[in-house]
Amino acid sequence: MRKTNINWLKKKREGLFCVPGNFFIDPVFPVEKALITHAHTDHARPNNKSIFSSKETIELMHLRYGESYCSDFQIARFDEKIKINDVTVQIHPAGHILGSVQFLINYKGYRLLISGDYKRTKDKTCLSYEPVKCDTFITEATFGLPIFNHPNDQNEVKKLIKSIKANVNKTHLIGVYALGKCQRLITLLRNLGYDETIYLHGALTKISNFYSKNNIILGNISNISECSKSEYANKLVLCPPSSLNDKWSQKFKNVVKGYASGWMRIRQRVKQKNIELPLILSDHADWDEILKTVNDVNPNEVLVTHGREEALVHYLTKKNFKSSALNLIGFEDENE
Amino acid sequence: MNDFAELLNDLILSPSRNKKIDLLKNFFCKSNLKDKGWAFCILTNRMDRKFVSVKELKELIIENSDEDLFRFSYDYVGDLAETISLLWQSNNEKNTNINLHEFMEIFSNFDHKNKLKTKLKYFLDRSSENQRFTIIKILTGGLRVGVSNGLIKEALKLSGVREKSEIEEFWHGFKLPCTDLFEWLDGKKLPKYINRKKLFNSFMLANNYNSNEFKSFKTDDYIAEFKWDGIRAQIIFSEDGKIFSRNGEDITNSFCDINTFIKGYFVVDGEIVVKKNNKVLSFNHLQKRIGRKNPSKKLIEDYPIHFIAYDILFYTSVDCRALSLIERKKYLNRFINICKFSNISTSSLIKFSSWDQLQNIKETSLNNHIEGVIIKKKTSLYKKGRVVDGWYKWKRNPFSVDFIIMYAQRGHGKRSSFYSDFTFGCWVDEQFTKLVPVGKAYSGYTNDELKSLDRWVRNNTVERFGPVRSLKPGLVVEISFDNINYSSRHKSGVALRFPRFTRIRWDKPISQVCSLKYIKDLIN
Repeated sequence: MRKTNINWLKKKREGLFCVPGNFFIDPVFPVEKALITHAHTDHARPNNKSIFSSKETIELMHLRYGESYCSDFQIARFDEKIKINDVTVQIHPAGHILGSVQFLINYKGYRLLISGDYKRTKDKTCLSYEPVKCDTFITEATFGLPIFNHPNDQNEVKKLIKSIKANVNKTHLIGVYALGKCQRLITLLRNLGYDETIYLHGALTKISNFYSKNNIILGNISNISECSKSEYANKLVLCPPSSLNDKWSQKFKNVVKGYASGWMRIRQRVKQKNIELPLILSDHADWDEILKTVNDVNPNEVLVTHGREEALVHYLTKKNFKSSALNLIGFEDENE
Repeated sequence: MNDFAELLNDLILSPSRNKKIDLLKNFFCKSNLKDKGWAFCILTNRMDRKFVSVKELKELIIENSDEDLFRFSYDYVGDLAETISLLWQSNNEKNTNINLHEFMEIFSNFDHKNKLKTKLKYFLDRSSENQRFTIIKILTGGLRVGVSNGLIKEALKLSGVREKSEIEEFWHGFKLPCTDLFEWLDGKKLPKYINRKKLFNSFMLANNYNSNEFKSFKTDDYIAEFKWDGIRAQIIFSEDGKIFSRNGEDITNSFCDINTFIKGYFVVDGEIVVKKNNKVLSFNHLQKRIGRKNPSKKLIEDYPIHFIAYDILFYTSVDCRALSLIERKKYLNRFINICKFSNISTSSLIKFSSWDQLQNIKETSLNNHIEGVIIKKKTSLYKKGRVVDGWYKWKRNPFSVDFIIMYAQRGHGKRSSFYSDFTFGCWVDEQFTKLVPVGKAYSGYTNDELKSLDRWVRNNTVERFGPVRSLKPGLVVEISFDNINYSSRHKSGVALRFPRFTRIRWDKPISQVCSLKYIKDLIN
């Protein structure tokens, strides 16, 4: 078990453990007490005894996991510092998805900032990232290579609208993550004036309705099962990425397949997934955003996790930041 | 330039053949003559050279970015052109307005080798990401955008007045920058420099043997010949003879010990092998001759070439392709009798009366350098490509041995995110304590198996060296290979021919894997 520079933070089988607070952050196995940065399944797992997070994250976990979401929860608010055993914890927006937060953990005056997943691009479906000065910063590195430079999100969505207009007889089937990407894509489409009904795969409706209830305007959305086969042409249908090539998607005969993800930056990935219409749309910080954030929070030490740690650690070290990889298990999959 | 960059991008992303043909046709219809010609040369890889080396490209990107960041990025992306185009930093990024042909003319006529990098940097600085990708792909050759020659021929047919058979016939004759090809497609005369008798003719290819199909085939309708482990070649015997490789490349100079000079015009199809003291030698020997444009006297003496002829396409003015195989064999024998070159012979026919007997001959034939047999229908005509009811290859059963996975490397291109290239090995001796690498395999598994292998690699890594991971010995795989020979180049002392995965033995303990002695015994 390797210690990080701050000796009160430990890596355990379940995940990252804060000793004086006696809690885990985003544990991969059930624990007594867990702080959850956001509701994506690789960060928020069911069956923890007690969870601590933003109101939206806790509600989303309830929505996804039913009664196994936890036995007990505590809602954190942005304006309060909560004492948990020997530390105080405050949440700050992370800009990743609805309800996503960073945790600022203060132990004897030493400030540790755990960002979870974050992005700096403006996103109407969640609060914007808030940089907080700290001593140790734990950053994600999903797109921690200089080749990742996310283009303007509106221009990407314009590509989709253009394709819909150019292929009136075709169905556009776009793979999106059910939580976050789906709703962000819809709001971007609405802002650009696309006001047709947007059809959703059944797996996306529950969370989208939750977003609507939280005053995020998605316009006319409808379950695709309510649309008859003869009317598929010229429709825009969103579905989970895994459904793009499964049996469900075979009912659309004349189709343009797209995928909204930061991985679409790389042609070879696009080809691997048989995607015709790649939309480079990511809810994670790209290389420049990560570097900007490190500068903004100005820590003594940067710990890197989730993704391509090597390049980032190398670069930060060169720029005189003390930096190392956290090497947490369970996060090596290339999910967004 | 921009139109061509967009075309490449669209071709890469288009899943369907028809869509690709459509994209090509549209490009050929709307572009100017010179751009079309160059685009065609680029897409069919007709460029006679690489304009820039991989080394020069790497130097450029390291100057522009950072050596380590480039290395990390390249390991991840797995494609040099794409890595550089994404990584390139420019203050001045905008689309270049230069035409494709202007760009190609600049680089084709560029003599100042030492200024090449500066010139390339100038263009990379003034290009969008997509254009940078295109520029680098063009200058390094080998596009890999999923466009076969067949597809391009189809698009050419649709964008002009020529029939596909005509295009097929003269396809190989047009020279850089191929503007005259497009004039010809529009109805103008063939350029004078094209001499039909100097052109490569498309090969007939063999289908894979299929046991179900063969049950209903009568052995009387077929002949069988040995499939030698050499390289396929087409030789034009004439006063200006030529030797072509399987993909139509002119390899006359590499095999100058074959005499192609003869009065008349004869086009013969066969296999090039190395033969010494009346014995055909292994492919390893032939490899010493492949790609050597001016082989030395010594090399020619040490590795003498022999041509095993098995078919004839033209016998003076007779187009034999329209004749049956049996008729063609008669013409071929007549030709061999005329030419009397000592290093050219005909391939002999195997006598057999049932498929079982043929299988037995195939498996028990003592010569190590036979890959299997080729079965050909007696009445079949000589046609381009794999023809139904024409030729069939029936390979020998491969060797099959269980090995232990030792190293894994990230794949390239389509498999760049996966650990897909595996080094496997066996025990050095019967003590079962030390492993020695024996070979590398990167095919044979299914997509799902690749994902499981990838996960296993990530969970069992001992050390990482850039894109390579050394692994805890623990996973046994069954590897098939076509042949095995001694080799001084490999640590194990043996070289396997075409090793590939046949099974992943998740449950088999590594202690049950064989030692190197067992492997070496396979050679004899």
